[in-house]
Amino acid sequence: MHIKTLVTNALIAALYITVSLIGEPLMFSNIQFRIPEMFNHLVVFNKKYFFGIILGVLITNLFSPLGMLDLIFGVAQSVISLLIIILLARYIKNTIALMTAGTLVFTFNMFIIAYELNLAFKLPFLFTWLTTAVGEFTIMAIGIPIMYALNKRLKFNKLV
Amino acid sequence: MNNSLIIGQYVPGNSIVHRLDPRTKITIIFFFVFIVFFANTLISYGILTIFALTSMITSRVPIRFILKGLTPVWFLIVFTFILHLFVTKEGTLIFHLSIFKFYSGGVIQGLAISVRFFLLILVTSLLTLTTTPIEITDAIEDMLHPLNKIKFPVHELALMMSISLRFIPTLMQETDKISKAQASRGVDFRTGPIKDRAKAVVPLLVPLFVSAFKRAEELAMAMEARGYHGGEGRTKLRELKIGKHDILIYILFAFVIAILFYTRSY
Repeated sequence: MHIKTLVTNALIAALYITVSLIGEPLMFSNIQFRIPEMFNHLVVFNKKYFFGIILGVLITNLFSPLGMLDLIFGVAQSVISLLIIILLARYIKNTIALMTAGTLVFTFNMFIIAYELNLAFKLPFLFTWLTTAVGEFTIMAIGIPIMYALNKRLKFNKLV
Repeated sequence: MNNSLIIGQYVPGNSIVHRLDPRTKITIIFFFVFIVFFANTLISYGILTIFALTSMITSRVPIRFILKGLTPVWFLIVFTFILHLFVTKEGTLIFHLSIFKFYSGGVIQGLAISVRFFLLILVTSLLTLTTTPIEITDAIEDMLHPLNKIKFPVHELALMMSISLRFIPTLMQETDKISKAQASRGVDFRTGPIKDRAKAVVPLLVPLFVSAFKRAEELAMAMEARGYHGGEGRTKLRELKIGKHDILIYILFAFVIAILFYTRSY
């Protein structure tokens, strides 16, 4: 891996964790609003951001008492969703359309987390899917204009 | 914000649990998370609880740190318990409130799931309470080493992890500075409708991203200028070593597993 890609991704992961630490109070009951999930959109601009996002999820989960439990499933959910977005990027050329598709992919894939919670704590699957998906969808939908605006100023695809 | 500058919840100490090899801790916790789901009788839960509490006491981590870690989880535990009260319809009817009926099966299942939840959180947080992030990174690098054979970039992953752990405090300070600077210019992060608050995130994120990318570029340049190249042939500053205590813990844990499988019902 190119050193610049490696370091940039490390910093993206650090940013993911930092924003998640600041946004911690934003967990309403079991609807969790994980603000840095909007960074998932980065992969739309350049697929090299994949590593940074995954590492961010991994470390955040590793060091939070609740996150440790869904270390495997949480990382798996991100990996699968990001790979689907990278695949979709071949067919969808419009940035906003791809971000919207990405939001839907991530929201849909929350069933992985719901399945895990169902398995571990016997929580009802559909209800859990709904509550986890609501949080994910909200953050990623709000993230579309934000990341789009950020990209206009920073040009993400050239930075990695 | 300064209190949260250290990622994770590491509490310095010199107890047996602190001194264990991080690989031992990760392995045992991994298996613990797995076997908790096999407990289904009072005794089997009891064995696991004794193991968790003993580890907690021997770690000499002050109880308030552990309770602090549990704060965000209490609600979920209570919520899960109540949910099981309503959903499970097994056993005898014990309580009747207009349209809601509560069964003994619901109480038992709710309690069992709560204990399971509690045990998992307790044991997993013990890892980050007694192990520094750097030790965990070293352990992960070492444990993933076999994956090198299939060309998985283990060293790169560990390096990335160390770099990002190193920069979290820096970025936290940066965020603090930026949000104060923007607040002094009149950005309101806390009040107003959701739409406005979402917009207020942009003037926070732009400088944060700029600064992160700038640091990344500087670091990458410094590394390239010094001719950095990855894992092959490099020696380590910190060497991991399995000691007597580690072996003892493995044996003890094997006993716990054996008793668990002996006392659970099939």
